[in-house]
Amino acid sequence: MLTRIIDQIHALGCEIFEITEETINTWEFYLIRHSLDQNRVVETKQFHIKLYRRLNRGADIGIASGIISPTLNDTELNAELSKIYLQAGLTCNPSFSLNHSSLPPIPSLDVDIEAISSPLLKSILEIPETETERINSCELFVSKVQKMYVNSNGVTYRMTYPCSMLEVVINSRENGKEIELYRNYTFGTCVPMLFVNRIKSAFQLGKDRLHAMPTPRLTKSDIILSGESAVSLYEFYVSKMNAEMQYRSLSDWTVGKEIVPDPTGDLISIYAVSHLENSSHDYPVDADGAWIQDRYLIRDNIAMSTWGSKQMSDYIGSSNSSSVYNIIVSGGKVPAEGLHSDEYLELFDFSDLQIDPVGGDILGEIRLGYWHHGGRIIPVSGGSISGNMQDVLASIRFSIETVQYDNYVIPKETLLRNLSITGVE
Amino acid sequence: MKAPFSSYLDHILPPLKSIIDYLSSYYEYVSLLSTDSVGFTIGISKKKKTLQNENLTTERGTVIRVLKDGLYSEYAFNQINPEEPELTAKNAHLALEQQFQMLKHIRVPVFQTAACKDEPLDLLIEKETERLPENEDLGSLVSFLSDLSVKGQQTITNAIDCNVRAVSTHISKLFLSKERCLRQSYVYTEGSIAAFAPNQDGEIKTAYEGVSGLGGPEILAALQETITKMPKIMDDLLKAERVSPGEYEIITDPGISGLIAHEAFGHGVEMDMFVKERALGAQYLNKRVGSDLVTMHEGALCADSVASYAFDDEGTLAGDVTEIDHGILKTGICDLISALRLGIQPTGNGKRENYSHKVYTRMTNTLFECGNNTLEEMISSIKHGYLLSGTESGMEDPKHWGIQCIISRGYEIRNGEMTGKVVSPVIMTGYVPDLLGNITMAGSELRIDGNGACGKGYKEWVKVADGGPYLKTKARLG
Repeated sequence: MLTRIIDQIHALGCEIFEITEETINTWEFYLIRHSLDQNRVVETKQFHIKLYRRLNRGADIGIASGIISPTLNDTELNAELSKIYLQAGLTCNPSFSLNHSSLPPIPSLDVDIEAISSPLLKSILEIPETETERINSCELFVSKVQKMYVNSNGVTYRMTYPCSMLEVVINSRENGKEIELYRNYTFGTCVPMLFVNRIKSAFQLGKDRLHAMPTPRLTKSDIILSGESAVSLYEFYVSKMNAEMQYRSLSDWTVGKEIVPDPTGDLISIYAVSHLENSSHDYPVDADGAWIQDRYLIRDNIAMSTWGSKQMSDYIGSSNSSSVYNIIVSGGKVPAEGLHSDEYLELFDFSDLQIDPVGGDILGEIRLGYWHHGGRIIPVSGGSISGNMQDVLASIRFSIETVQYDNYVIPKETLLRNLSITGVE
Repeated sequence: MKAPFSSYLDHILPPLKSIIDYLSSYYEYVSLLSTDSVGFTIGISKKKKTLQNENLTTERGTVIRVLKDGLYSEYAFNQINPEEPELTAKNAHLALEQQFQMLKHIRVPVFQTAACKDEPLDLLIEKETERLPENEDLGSLVSFLSDLSVKGQQTITNAIDCNVRAVSTHISKLFLSKERCLRQSYVYTEGSIAAFAPNQDGEIKTAYEGVSGLGGPEILAALQETITKMPKIMDDLLKAERVSPGEYEIITDPGISGLIAHEAFGHGVEMDMFVKERALGAQYLNKRVGSDLVTMHEGALCADSVASYAFDDEGTLAGDVTEIDHGILKTGICDLISALRLGIQPTGNGKRENYSHKVYTRMTNTLFECGNNTLEEMISSIKHGYLLSGTESGMEDPKHWGIQCIISRGYEIRNGEMTGKVVSPVIMTGYVPDLLGNITMAGSELRIDGNGACGKGYKEWVKVADGGPYLKTKARLG
């Protein structure tokens, strides 16, 4: 069908186009306790089409896109492509060019869905539970993704990679009281023991949540962020180096300049890599057919490189850029213990920690934290934190030790100073 | 005009029936949902213009559901040769068998579920719309949206940009089983405006408002009124301070009332969570969960909105459930399989993100009933509190009945009067029965909002709508 699509695009007179053929095979398993609630097989194929049109004698370019179903016959395909091509004349953007550098062949991974699913499912079912800690339910999705990309400059690639998700709900119960912890893991290649260990750790956290006191009314406090919620914090840094954010004046972090003037804390480095073991985004090309170069986005507090689509990268003068998917954060000077003081609030779980990439507002309801106070460590829950990244960036500190959550490797602990706490007590 | 049912689905109906016939020799129950939904997304801002023939709900594909030995399984696909339906049926059977073999080898026990009844019904519902997205004059629409973006850039203080977005989808769904043939077709549309401007400290503020409804792109005309509200909203945000954390009397505008109905309560009574013992609400049936002023409805028939339909994705007819009646929790909402397990009737709330996703119990229209109070009465009654406005996000916590709502703005009230002080952003947290139990006043006019999408946890995104009147209650703000 890809050939049919290309032939019809040419017949329309469209000179600039991108097509991505995506085939996804997924096995899904849904468990309630240790019993199978439902099982599913998904087999889909789609063609993502972008058609471009030169406007105003080439000074501008129009873009329209759509998804072509594999069920379309020739007449329907022609109608759909004609429509998209016509629509491309309606959206006038400054001109830019598609990627034109040819790509080396990408080694295709041999993804065997059954071979991934079986040991993982078995491992989950065999996790030792106790009278007080157990798995409530889980969902496991194991996918094989095959992509083929071609653009009108002759850039083409094929790749196959695994992409999976495990959602687990854990209960902890005692004396008639029961709580739950929710975990969602996405990953590429899979090491079952990695998840078994994470779930076992979650059992201990569940015990703590069961005994948690209401978060005290601290008004302001230094916060240690530990746990996967901290990824949101580092996504903020990455978004500020995004080409579209910069082009649209929603970020003023300029390449070659400090991102934070007069820092008193640690100097952050953000390194983007194409390969990260076990990441669900472990592949070397981006959606626009650009080879992903490993590079610093930020190094020791200095903005080094932007990232993003070819369109936006061209607009800000970074034509050789690409999107990035795998991020390694570093810059900590001390082990985690070195960040600790006599009094602080360590926060592990939130309902949904939100950090606004545009405005920097930090907001989240606390589901599990630890109040380090008077020599004791007290599990707490409830209430919320609020603040703004502008107020914490200069003094932020992080541990040398790091931990990986899917496509992010982040410091195991991050210290934020003087955030506002709305306690419950 | 009526939104015409998909000719593609009509064309493949006979081969889909053949698939059901073929698979019925292997399985106790076979049904399928086939979808063909078309639409667009347009985004216009100062520096970028996009036009896509896709959005959250555009799709074309089929999902087959089968039952064997107490286990429901599904096969989702989007390639079918109408001349050879048996090939598709064989592929489905083989794919599921391969999975069954693996599960048998691992010895996974099955959560046994009864067969659902397959009661005969033929239905065709084509809902009214003025225009269809696939026939829309997109050139005119792009011009209209561009004018709004320019107007926003010109009238909003310090505006960096003004993003105008339009989404419209014509949905067609076919549900087939041995005894049922249900077809429906309807159109929904939503539009939004998001403006960005820096305050005096250089923090960029985002002002956001939207419109939505059951119907075609004609709904977007309402954005002309929306753009006139944006300058004041941005001015409020630019001068806003941080709220001093604490407990306050609050008045929620209808959008926030809807957010509470949806996040705080609605998720808590999705009965697939009852099956998993993940919902505190299961222990509160026929018990008090709110004040006498709290009556809440939920269902695709409750209103005409983005979330309204004739039947759900399992072939259950849409419903209108009274979840809370004058403060007493009466029932939740339920998909078909969960209903079989709980021994109750399904409520028409079985929804999929799209054909390739599983069904979960999901909300449709979730609404507080109105009361008799005016907004002025409510404001006059408050010693120190805030009028909350501008939905940003929420997160459910059905197990513990916690609440997280993030709200754009709070307008301070002292001694029964607005002071002019604005706080932003605001995070509202607390315990649901406390929030609902403290409702002491309810306004007389209802508003329903349907912008954005609802997730189950962090995935499975579906369209929902929620709303209510102005409500007065107490909450913890930070």
